[in-house]
Amino acid sequence: MNELSSTIYELLVKAEESYGAQDAIRYKVKCADGSGKKATKVEAKTYTQLKCDSEHFTGALAELGERGKHIAIIGATSYSWIVAYYGTVNGGSVAVPLDANLPAEDLCELIDRADVTTLVYDKAKTNVALMAAEQCHGLKNIIAMEAESEVPDALYMWELIEKAAPEKGYEPKPEDLATIMFTSGTTGKSKSVMLTHRNLAENATALDMGYEPGTVLMSVLPIHHAYCLSMDILKGTSVGAIICINDSLLRVAKNIKLFEPNMILMVPLMVETLAKKLEEASFIPAPLVKAKVFGKQFHTICSGGAYLNPAYIAMFKKYGITILQGYGMTECAPVISTNCDSASKAGSIGRCMPNCEAKIVDEEIWVRGTSVMQGYYKMPEETAQTLEDGWLKTGDLGYIDEEGFLFLTGRKKNLIITPNGENVSPEEIENKLGENRLVQEVLVRDSEGVIEAEIFPDLEYVTKKKIKDVQAELQAIIDAYNNGAPLYKRIFKLKVRDVEFEKNTTKKIKRF
Amino acid sequence: MFEQLVEIIVNYVEVKKEDIKPESRFMEDLGFTSFDFMSMLGEIEDTLDVEIDQEEAANIRTIQEAADYLSSIS
Repeated sequence: MNELSSTIYELLVKAEESYGAQDAIRYKVKCADGSGKKATKVEAKTYTQLKCDSEHFTGALAELGERGKHIAIIGATSYSWIVAYYGTVNGGSVAVPLDANLPAEDLCELIDRADVTTLVYDKAKTNVALMAAEQCHGLKNIIAMEAESEVPDALYMWELIEKAAPEKGYEPKPEDLATIMFTSGTTGKSKSVMLTHRNLAENATALDMGYEPGTVLMSVLPIHHAYCLSMDILKGTSVGAIICINDSLLRVAKNIKLFEPNMILMVPLMVETLAKKLEEASFIPAPLVKAKVFGKQFHTICSGGAYLNPAYIAMFKKYGITILQGYGMTECAPVISTNCDSASKAGSIGRCMPNCEAKIVDEEIWVRGTSVMQGYYKMPEETAQTLEDGWLKTGDLGYIDEEGFLFLTGRKKNLIITPNGENVSPEEIENKLGENRLVQEVLVRDSEGVIEAEIFPDLEYVTKKKIKDVQAELQAIIDAYNNGAPLYKRIFKLKVRDVEFEKNTTKKIKRF
Repeated sequence: MFEQLVEIIVNYVEVKKEDIKPESRFMEDLGFTSFDFMSMLGEIEDTLDVEIDQEEAANIRTIQEAADYLSSIS
């Protein structure tokens, strides 16, 4: 069941009332086994503990004089991270989740840009905290998630939680700013998206996707990413899910066996890799393969963050796994539309969320609703370019069919304008070429007035099929595409790569 | 260490054992995707009972580099 909440505070309070004694978060901790050998065990925190710990953290921030201030949180997904987040936003402060994969210098710049006064960090990011302590002059407090910090004057989060009186009685309003998130855009300077309690809470709770309380989610995406924070953590909390923390991308397969999840949120790259695993074992009956790779209990993958070839949806169906393809952007907190069990259509990115509407202006998708951001923090020009009369210009091209399903055709800012003025969407061509098994990754762009495709071939497939001349084979794919394409959409240059494309931290190919 | 690695690698990509050389690069020569590579390192952690640092692992390109890194932590 899902009930609409308009603040993150309300969302957590309701979850605690309904699911108090049930596990909210499960995670691995290191320990020694009977013989003194290193081992790991699973620990869990209930909804009541999560709410209680976050109220104490709110209390601690209030005692530090940080109510209403900007609190940056950096680190991998952890129970401490989640407590710090809920504790910050529910006490009227603004959380600034930072990308743990960025270099320390860039992070210090973001800390300054977001006017952060307190930094909460995990041990792996000690270098960032040390640099920020030196360079970020607006910073008043540094809080370490683990004891025995190397950072001078750092406070220890769990000691603060233990000593502080829990916050009772303070309730943030729906229109209060809750979070500033930096977009990990594939082009240009990252933008600071301002999201209120209503933006985030209603995005997480507006659509009842039919999840039962106790559904086991495994969270594998980076938590600073809007998709993970909103759909794994906030939505997970609101439906009474058991959120299991995958401690490293190295251990996805192992952790699936350990936590036995029912569903996982993924980006397309992960779906594609897992598809290969299933395909390799295609001579074994489908239910057995599924049980081996995902476990019998597994049933759903939510895919977002980038375009997923619909062929994968059909393929996973054979194994009894539903892939729900959604669409969103940080500026919309983040989900705009999604397929769900009760309403889905092949090739579509689903219907708009109940709290949001879309229209098409010059082929571009514009969105309005309670999840649309307040603007970019201290970026008035960029805000004015993106918001118009309450409508968010997504920069994505697409259309809406007669049943209200949204379809994407490309990205406006990536459009190639040919010398004779025709508009070509590179994604449209990339998606077509990507249907070939030999094409693992492809980027289409303008090169001195003609369209160029740069391809990273699937090297495993090359070996398997004993392909000798990869260049010629790829050229044949291009020729076949060109035969069916209008002249202005034809590809005139082919570049073959011998390494994967460079990706940003959400695994999207960097375009420029 | 090299031989142990080869045994594991052939479970991930379709390459003959004799074609795997210390200087072979995981992605360029053996056809690993970044996610395959991560999954394999996860298996190595179990097999060799070591703990691999994800950030350091991202710098590994060849089998020799992987073998050297694993020797240094085991």
